[in-house]
Amino acid sequence: MKPVAITGLGVVSPFGAGVKAYWEGLSGGVCAIRPITLIDTEGFRCRIAAEVPRPIAGSARRSRADRLALAAAREALDDAGVDRGDREDAAVIVGAVGGGMLEAEAWHWRRMRGSAEPVPRPLASSFPSAHADVIGSTLGLAGPRETVVTACSSGAASLAMATDLISDGVVPLALAGGVDALTRICFMGFNALRLLDPAPCRPFDRDRRGMSIGEGAAFVVLEDGARARARGARVYAELVGYGMTGDAFHVTSPHPEGEGMARAMRIALREAGVAAASVGYANAHGTATPQNDRIEARAMRDVFGEGGLLVSSTKSMIGHTMAAAGTLEAVATVLALVSELVPPTAQLETPDPEIPFDCVPRAAREAAVEFAISNSFGFGGQNVTLLFKRAG
Amino acid sequence: MRQRVAITGVAVVDERTPDVASWLADEAEARRLSRICQLTVAAGRRALADADLDAQGGLAVLVGTEFGDMVSTISFVDGYLSRGPGGLSALLFPHTVMNTMAATTAIAVSAKDLSLTLSALTVAGELAIARGAAAIRAGRVGACLAGGADEPAPLVMSALGEAGAAPELRAAGAGFVVLEALDGARARGARVLGEIVGAAWRAVPARPHRIGSTASSRAIAAALEEAGGHAAEVGRVYTSANGDGPREEWERALVDAALAPHRPPYQSPSVPAGRHSGLAAQSVASAASEAGDRLALVHAVARGGNQVAIVVRSASRAGATALIP
Repeated sequence: MKPVAITGLGVVSPFGAGVKAYWEGLSGGVCAIRPITLIDTEGFRCRIAAEVPRPIAGSARRSRADRLALAAAREALDDAGVDRGDREDAAVIVGAVGGGMLEAEAWHWRRMRGSAEPVPRPLASSFPSAHADVIGSTLGLAGPRETVVTACSSGAASLAMATDLISDGVVPLALAGGVDALTRICFMGFNALRLLDPAPCRPFDRDRRGMSIGEGAAFVVLEDGARARARGARVYAELVGYGMTGDAFHVTSPHPEGEGMARAMRIALREAGVAAASVGYANAHGTATPQNDRIEARAMRDVFGEGGLLVSSTKSMIGHTMAAAGTLEAVATVLALVSELVPPTAQLETPDPEIPFDCVPRAAREAAVEFAISNSFGFGGQNVTLLFKRAG
Repeated sequence: MRQRVAITGVAVVDERTPDVASWLADEAEARRLSRICQLTVAAGRRALADADLDAQGGLAVLVGTEFGDMVSTISFVDGYLSRGPGGLSALLFPHTVMNTMAATTAIAVSAKDLSLTLSALTVAGELAIARGAAAIRAGRVGACLAGGADEPAPLVMSALGEAGAAPELRAAGAGFVVLEALDGARARGARVLGEIVGAAWRAVPARPHRIGSTASSRAIAAALEEAGGHAAEVGRVYTSANGDGPREEWERALVDAALAPHRPPYQSPSVPAGRHSGLAAQSVASAASEAGDRLALVHAVARGGNQVAIVVRSASRAGATALIP
């Protein structure tokens, strides 16, 4: 695979707007998982999540998710110094699941309870594909436009798909990322599956009891490496390989031996021509469900061997942000390479003896790493591994 | 090395298809799957059977959809609204995520390569096929099921209408083409229906949910360029007609401008039965069988500007006649 340069980053996270706030929160080991304010949680066992704090930029006529996405996309394009002329050929690829469902749910709730309120116009934009149309139209991106839904790996898949377009010579530049606002469906669904911890999640802890959900958006600008260098762009890191696989096993449970996960990691290494021993850090999917963490660790052990690799789950601080997770975690991985600082796994008090890795408990760790992976897995056995190389 | 992309199988099923259940493994699978997933799984299995292919050598699945499984999503929500937290179904929840059709199809046919769900208004099926063709051309996958699936949910349709969305003819259905690297298809002695020789997708300037004011576009030119062809060679055009008059007029203007001064005949599989994303597979397969010694263009454009162009050659012109049994 032809390496692709990462030249711009943009984030709206439970730490607020901006990459700076995001990295300060992550590197400081701050947990942003708190009582939910956006939706009614009465009667549910879990009542916490990582919400994006107010105010959120943008017109209130847009869905919350559109506003999160637009703010992160703008920051990424500005950060990369992409001007209007460059945008004409640029692709926009968005990983999304919930779309503008938060607002659609609110309307449906009211309607079912007898309200005669007419359907608000923004409801026509309540599907995931709306984000790409809004971003493309507002920011003047006129290249390929796609919305990918691979459940919780959507944000990572968007980067892989953008890499394909650049590697194939279709576009010189792409904006790719993921977004999800908190929705009732997501909150209720994971409650129904009994996958949520009533307390902030504890990935890789022996006593972990499930995940915490969150919301946010992240976008990155990916660029042909030679083009980026020619225009004097700052290159944060290179995306040198990825693997996308399917378990073909179960709609909600991962393959018990992590076969598809391991295959995604191996494909990413093979595509990049990078030895497993060269990888120093893994930003894990790390949801904190007993099953996911054990299986992911098994898959990583199969690929990388025990020990050596530093592993952390930034979901311990911002929760599982669904379609945004893969991109937020890719940004965290890139920033770990840039700053030579591995973000911690918060709330990790008693490491699970079945997890044979140093999971960087509670405090960030200084580490100069040349290669790092970011894992994202989703319902339906949708596995994505992104492999990044430090710039330089 | 860039691969040539062969079309080796096709299947489209909808509510009028009499034997959907016969393509499901058993009653347990039928019970487990929502209606749209049943249609998608049946279309996937039929397309693979048509291509006489299984997933042993690696298989990817690409599904385009406008709305996903909104019927199950609404059932899930209404369970809560009628009975509170105790009314929530853990079995329905996974169907609220749009990748449920791709996931259940991948499980049903044991497809372990990449699995992508692409969500887009109007162009989703064409986009999935274009993406699939690009993945094969670049050698990233050897074979894939590519197409789409939709099931209009009455609540969603009425809400969209109230919100001012344009009226469209919609149907429930699913469809796939099987795409393979031509060399791989030849090696296994597959019947080749045709070849995707060019595919491109771009955005035409337009505000969300609006048609654009320009007839100038780039996807058709890019697809023709990849095909090594030119407008004069296009003998047929398969459009994304869906009953949305202003959008259809815009589509014609875009295609007319891209192919001018040539005016090949237009047709669409979605009129009068209604459109779903799986019909993109039918357009591509029809293009392969009807192109003759010309090229055929499969085209779609959505309100908001998303545009897809796929250039198809029939098997005889692909030099694959000898492979047809």
